[in-house]
Amino acid sequence: MTGWLDVLPWAVAAWLLGIGLYGVVTSRNVVHLIGCLSVVQGATYVLLLSVGFRTGGIAPVFYAKPPSTSAVDPVTHAMVLTDVVVGATVTALLLALVLQLHKRRGTLDPEELRPMRPK
Amino acid sequence: MSAATPRGMSPRMRLVLFALAVLAVLPGVVHVAGHMPQFGAHPLPYGDAINAAAPPERHVTNMTSAVNFDYRGFDTLGEEFMLLCAVTGVTVLLRGGRGEGTAGRPGRTGHRPVLPRTDAVVLTARAGAGVLLLFGFYVALHAMTTPGGGFQGGVILASGMLLVFLGDGYAAWRRVVRSEAMDACEGLGATLFALCGFAGVLLGLPFGQNILPLGTIGDLFAGGLMLVENAGVTMAVGGGFLVVFIEFLEETRVVPGADER
Amino acid sequence: MTPLLALLFLLVAATGTGVALSRNPKRQVLAMSANGMALALLFMALQAPDVAFAEIAVGTAAIPLLFLAVLASIRMDHGPHGTPKE
Repeated sequence: MTGWLDVLPWAVAAWLLGIGLYGVVTSRNVVHLIGCLSVVQGATYVLLLSVGFRTGGIAPVFYAKPPSTSAVDPVTHAMVLTDVVVGATVTALLLALVLQLHKRRGTLDPEELRPMRPK
Repeated sequence: MSAATPRGMSPRMRLVLFALAVLAVLPGVVHVAGHMPQFGAHPLPYGDAINAAAPPERHVTNMTSAVNFDYRGFDTLGEEFMLLCAVTGVTVLLRGGRGEGTAGRPGRTGHRPVLPRTDAVVLTARAGAGVLLLFGFYVALHAMTTPGGGFQGGVILASGMLLVFLGDGYAAWRRVVRSEAMDACEGLGATLFALCGFAGVLLGLPFGQNILPLGTIGDLFAGGLMLVENAGVTMAVGGGFLVVFIEFLEETRVVPGADER
Repeated sequence: MTPLLALLFLLVAATGTGVALSRNPKRQVLAMSANGMALALLFMALQAPDVAFAEIAVGTAAIPLLFLAVLASIRMDHGPHGTPKE
């Protein structure tokens, strides 16, 4: 039982990546596609923070505890922190592209959007 | 003139290819997941080295901020400018297609009735906006001592300003949040962060060296140059998110005169 | 691995599946909010309060607002900005 539970973080990260990509592949609406991309980003966060976790460790803030207390890894926290904020801005850029796409082509279906060809 | 242009990959074909790719990668994923280090065992030495070295060296107690602004400050510079580029892209795409003027009235979709705001919503939003702005400022200020920092504080500040939109309407929100001021705020924040890096270079030290006095550990204004970088990040993130909100909400307005055809 | 942590991992997997499988964009926005909240709770349980702060503000407030604004703008009739194809 403990063997199965210890694989859970990696399994959840792999599952989120897989289901997000499945949503991207079978999407009929570009806005839904961008939502699935944010699920894939969530898989990265789960993986990084699970790698940095230490059982019985406190958060890496030594304001109330002495600095020699066992703490979790702050480097993975720093990576995920900047990732969350910048990922949100890149999602905003993708949504702006979707708005322009709707204005030019009138459709939001990836199946109907073919690459532009020279006339 | 060519005949019917090829349809491209059919959805069924795409799903079959995806299933094949998953089947090809799945044994590797299962093998790696089974051989990962024990969850919670934490074999990485870099984090332990920073936990041991940062409080005596940099006089701060928040290790994540120390990593973000000092030990790996160059990465944060890259993230800052990624944020700046994404916000610039949004502005160019949306404002470029729409123009600079602030439009007149909200757009209508369908015939759903729009209810006026009740007094409870207005009061709660006004009280909540003040509290959230104060909280965002507190979180951004306490970057060196307790969990928090520029990134979190900036986003909380931007969300606090959104409550003004919720409670008092779009016109009142645009009076408080001016897009020129937010553009300047964001640009200044990113410039401040870059200048902090170059301040050391002017004195002959490596890029990003902490040249200000470090203060005492546990004090609010400890950390030296990290405080200035933190202020730069707060301004850049808060201003950037508000610019993005303004551009997107402006897209839901219609210019009054253009509807007559 | 405490039971709470295992439960939160499974909750994140469930809400992520909900986001990917909601085809209607309006429903997907609410699923994304739930996913953001579940992720923030997981980050708190993994002893990462800084990251949880950022994820709550971004995942439950900022991103759903952007999606709702885009959906509202798409449903509007834009007129001279560009005529939608019928």
